[in-house]
Amino acid sequence: MSYMLLIVEPPGQRQERGREAGQADYDRMLVYTKSLKTRGVLVATNSLKSAGTRLAIRGGKRTVVDGPFTEAKELVGGFFLLNVQTRDEALVFAGECPAAEWATVEVREIGPCYE
Amino acid sequence: MILACAVQLAVMSSVAMKATEVQRTIDAVWRIESAKLIAALARMTRDVGVAEELAQDALVTALEQWPRTGIPDNPGAWLMATARNRGIDRLRHQRMLVSKHETLSAELEMDQERSDSVEAGADDEIGDDLLRLIFTACHPLLPTEARTALTLRLLGGLTTAEIARAFLVPEPTIAQRIVRAKRALSEAAVPFEIPRGEELRRRVSSVLEVIYLVFNEGYSATAGSDWMRPALCEEALRIGRILAALAPGESEVHGLVALMEIQASRIRARTNSNGEPVLLREQKRTLWDRVLIHRGLMALARGESLGETRGPYLLQAAIAACHARAATAEDTDWVYITALYDELVRCTPTPVVELNRAVAVSMAYGPAAGLELADRLAAEGTLKFYHLLPSVRGDLLAKLGRYAEARGEFERAAQLTRNARESRLLLDRAAACVRS
Repeated sequence: MSYMLLIVEPPGQRQERGREAGQADYDRMLVYTKSLKTRGVLVATNSLKSAGTRLAIRGGKRTVVDGPFTEAKELVGGFFLLNVQTRDEALVFAGECPAAEWATVEVREIGPCYE
Repeated sequence: MILACAVQLAVMSSVAMKATEVQRTIDAVWRIESAKLIAALARMTRDVGVAEELAQDALVTALEQWPRTGIPDNPGAWLMATARNRGIDRLRHQRMLVSKHETLSAELEMDQERSDSVEAGADDEIGDDLLRLIFTACHPLLPTEARTALTLRLLGGLTTAEIARAFLVPEPTIAQRIVRAKRALSEAAVPFEIPRGEELRRRVSSVLEVIYLVFNEGYSATAGSDWMRPALCEEALRIGRILAALAPGESEVHGLVALMEIQASRIRARTNSNGEPVLLREQKRTLWDRVLIHRGLMALARGESLGETRGPYLLQAAIAACHARAATAEDTDWVYITALYDELVRCTPTPVVELNRAVAVSMAYGPAAGLELADRLAAEGTLKFYHLLPSVRGDLLAKLGRYAEARGEFERAAQLTRNARESRLLLDRAAACVRS
């Protein structure tokens, strides 16, 4: 089974934290990533830049809005795609993630939208 | 009174709920941590059997304590400390030769100090321990079946019951295999080490054989009605990826990982909604997992970049990659696949590879050319009990319009396979020959 760990962080947190502290956290995430790799469960991972663009088509009308989105309450900052046997294993790996200390780690199973 | 009972019941059920949750978390922690734990303990005790017992003892302690105390912040470190203390206790209480006792217990204690003080660099050490454990569990001294059971037990954290269920073998048989294997390793005083030089190559192939066997057992169950048992595939992939991360210089390790990633990418497409097998050329390629294909192609490139002559796993991965790259079955580069099979036949000249080559030749140069090779194999008689030979011949004969002969071949194949679903598929094809 595959699970996605989504790192959901408050927008603006990266700026507040500043580069130096951010780098220290990032280094901890690299160690964590390596540990997932050497345990054979990591399928894919990446971090995402803060600013993005939102696109939607409603009634045939296309809207494109460039970030930052000041009204947003949370921001997906990165992801880990894991191959594990159970949800509990995914939760254990989520619990090891350093980002759980400053962001929220959302554990989602990969699967169809409707069963 | 009734109300009080109801309240009490609610409280009890929430406690019970919590206990099962803790239990499930412990199971998960065990699956994740047990290999590391056993590997480190094996280095200290120089006996995988003793190491596993100590790890199991720690697990039992966790099962007793965690429901009361909650899950510790670092469950792996907790298990390690507990197992190590058990090891020291055991050594102190055992009537052992004084000198050996002192060395071992000194080493256990020293290791504790080291792991307490040194945090950085510990990763490499854990990696080396794991590699040693993989090589020991897959030692060529052990028969393949024993290596497989021991690997799943020590590296996969699977229980004897789970291994037995996966291989459709009675539990006592597996238990005995594991006990004997541990005893054999102990009696032969197999050193807990990473082999070097020429020895390394030989030992790697012994490990790869076990991993691929586990994968295949999951991918196409040889018996029973389950066409595949994804858990075994995932387990094999996990161990393979660990090995690739720990031994990145071994081209065949990348080859096997590539092969497994690409084969696993087709898992969703390999069966229809009734759980019946779907042949490669009929699979909906949109169901193939692109992430796994990408990983497979990367692993293949990594293996090929090491610049050695391609071994059997890299060649098979290269063949699997040809299929993965083709947008439709018609786009498959069969001429290149045939060339890869020629190379594969040279390094592993087995009748099964010859049979696969016959299929590739039939796709590249027509069914008659393929049938000629398949007929030659049938005449040799080495694959007399292998269901895929009549299955392939049936297919080629049908393509040539020789339906009566094709039907006989499909029926024979259906009799030879032990997989109920595959048998049904073959009988359907036999019936289709009658209609043609």
